[in-house]
Amino acid sequence: MASSSQNDYPDVLSSNEDDSVISTRGLEAFGRKVTTTASHLMGPLADPSSHPHYQSAMSEVQKQLRRPNLQRSMFSMARTTPTDLVRSKLSTREIQSRALSYVPDDMLQNIPENDNSYSLFQGFQATFPELTDEGKKHRRRVSRGRKLLEETPIQPGSPHAVQKLKKEKSSMIHQFEMLGVRKNMASSEIREIDNKMANLAGMRKIILDRLANLEQEEALLEHDIIEVEGRLEDAQELAEEAESIAMQTPTKSEHDVGGEDSPGFMSQSIYEKLPSASSTPSKPKKPRNIRRKSMPILHEHFQPGTMIRSMRAHQDSITALDFDAPFGLMVSAAMDDSVRVFDLNAGRCIGMLEGHTASVRALQVEDNFLATGSMDATIRLWDLSKAHYDPQGSQFGRDDEDDGMAFENPDDQPVDPPAGSMADCPLFTLQAHLDEITALHFRDNVLVSGSADKTLRQWDLEKGRCVQTLDVMWASAQASAMSAGDSTWRQTTRSTDASADFVGALQVFESALACGTADGMVRLWDLRSGQVHRSLVGHTGPVTCLQFDDVHLVTGSLDRSIRIWDLRTGSIYDAYAYENSVTSMMFDSRRIVSAAGEDVVKVYDKVEGRHWDCGAGIAEAEEGKTPAIVERVRIRDGYMVEGRRDGVVGVWTC
Amino acid sequence: MTQLPYAIDAETPLNSAELNVLRAQYEKEGDMVGVQTKFNYAWGLVKSNTRTDQHLGVMLLSEIFRTSPERRRECLYYLALGNYKLGNFGEARKYNDLLLDKEPANLQAANLRSLIDDKVAQEGLMGVAIVSGVAVAAGVIGGILLRNLGRKR
Repeated sequence: MASSSQNDYPDVLSSNEDDSVISTRGLEAFGRKVTTTASHLMGPLADPSSHPHYQSAMSEVQKQLRRPNLQRSMFSMARTTPTDLVRSKLSTREIQSRALSYVPDDMLQNIPENDNSYSLFQGFQATFPELTDEGKKHRRRVSRGRKLLEETPIQPGSPHAVQKLKKEKSSMIHQFEMLGVRKNMASSEIREIDNKMANLAGMRKIILDRLANLEQEEALLEHDIIEVEGRLEDAQELAEEAESIAMQTPTKSEHDVGGEDSPGFMSQSIYEKLPSASSTPSKPKKPRNIRRKSMPILHEHFQPGTMIRSMRAHQDSITALDFDAPFGLMVSAAMDDSVRVFDLNAGRCIGMLEGHTASVRALQVEDNFLATGSMDATIRLWDLSKAHYDPQGSQFGRDDEDDGMAFENPDDQPVDPPAGSMADCPLFTLQAHLDEITALHFRDNVLVSGSADKTLRQWDLEKGRCVQTLDVMWASAQASAMSAGDSTWRQTTRSTDASADFVGALQVFESALACGTADGMVRLWDLRSGQVHRSLVGHTGPVTCLQFDDVHLVTGSLDRSIRIWDLRTGSIYDAYAYENSVTSMMFDSRRIVSAAGEDVVKVYDKVEGRHWDCGAGIAEAEEGKTPAIVERVRIRDGYMVEGRRDGVVGVWTC
Repeated sequence: MTQLPYAIDAETPLNSAELNVLRAQYEKEGDMVGVQTKFNYAWGLVKSNTRTDQHLGVMLLSEIFRTSPERRRECLYYLALGNYKLGNFGEARKYNDLLLDKEPANLQAANLRSLIDDKVAQEGLMGVAIVSGVAVAAGVIGGILLRNLGRKR
């Protein structure tokens, strides 16, 4: 306290005041007054008693000499009272609260000018009556009083009326002022909140960056773990083999040590030559389980509609694309007859899948397993975990390698990945269809494919064989025979039908198969009987896309509509339409995304019941660019990938 | 000059219902509480007659002082007033004089200064009275004892 006393008293003598037993302040003030009085007395101006200065000075002298000031001068050496001193030194609670409400001296030094539009107390006065019931009543009373006043006839002459009006006026002016204060309060509160929001947004950004780094590290570490696990497995295999060899030929053990790995290598090369299906299901399953222990969650924290990445994947229109998981692997196929595999995390092409002799029209990625259906009437299966690709390459070889590999700029030309990186990927080929494959879907060991030869085929992936052929025409003929031509095959009235695929979309779940065809029908098959057990009639154009979960079936058609069917009743649950034909659609737990002949992806938020657009068309429209039309779209857990007619693939959150 | 309440305003407590409304408002806004709401509650607490409330009020006021520099000048006065009510005249004088230093024409602060001086003087007189009384008593007793000793000798 004593240390800060210099600031407290502006007087010159203040610093000594604590030490002096009798305060000089009172005395000095008294002395000042006396001298001024004396100067006035001695001045040339006459009649001192009538002089105002003399009067005021004398009265001040008197006041100074009155009792409290005497006391003050006697006791002002005490900055505070004894009780206060005792309290501040002895009571713990007092000490605590003092510590809590302590204001550091440097803050006391730093007191800016007051430029607030209202004082805190005014704010208090303005809000307080509002908060309490009493105040509300009061306000009501005032307004009612005002009305009453208007109703009562005013006698202009009576002083009572004048009084009343004055009172009314002053109260109204007071209210008006209070309203002004409240208005200022509201606006300053908004400013305050804006500041807080800006701060929070900054914090969020920092944490988002941290999350991104953590995810990156996690992915790298995971990759290392997988690699180590693979090597461990190999080492164990080798050790076992060596053991067995040692057991078989105990005498030649020393000689065999050098050639130990040759049996392992041999067996592996034999395995690689085997095109048979028997070895495939067991082999890819192992890495399948190891992969993706961690769940990327970064994209969930972006604003919906934020672009994560954009890259030129192909030179021609994208015909099919799919990815296994957010920030995982993406496979895309285009009219240029190439099939490319991308690492979505790094945004670079891992390799090209070669084998098809015509462009791929349908593909699906599940874990590391890829199925592609091509216009060459074959279906090929691939194991993507066999790719020679090191995601860490982007870290170590950033200087020399990365420039050529990553497509940060969407206008970059696609760079060819290292040749042969995918050489080990092909598993086997399914050949039986007579015309181009337009749709396929697999789940577990069942794959179904739809072809322009007007049949569906069911394949057993365990054995690699076709186990059932479903003839759509036959089924529709059966149906028409039973129900008097009501649901016969009929050509829809649209002229685009000629170009539409006969089988537009397929999905299988155990023994249930849904297929959408060019006649606008959606047929639900039972694979055990090979019969159509329900047909969903509604679309007036060819069905191009279809997906179902446990409750609903969603279909999109060239008739521009998306229809949501209730699987239990077979009736329409919901439907909506766009400007153009729907070419691709997929849904996840929250939204239905569709490509409908626009440069944006149409998103329907099921939870909020809201339609919105997501994609390059929104931002680039302002820059005067016109991005190509979105042809294909896929979504998983709010992570959306869209492929456009110019071969550009965009990755978005939504 | 911004409008400040006179010290007399601080001596008129709110009723508990009114204070509860202010508290509810303060608690509703949680961590993101606005300055005005905080002040309303703090002011309601300072006006209260219970010491714990006053302590809390002064604490909140010091928080406002620390966090919002644009309100510091006003807060000086409220801190002085709050400490005056708590009887912490040393602090009260420190804050009030700081304010008067910046705004010598501040009537409310001048008023508060004289109030503090009076209180200090009053209690000081009382303290002196007590001390002198004790001293007189001690003197009397000591005198008696001395006299007794003298007699014995």
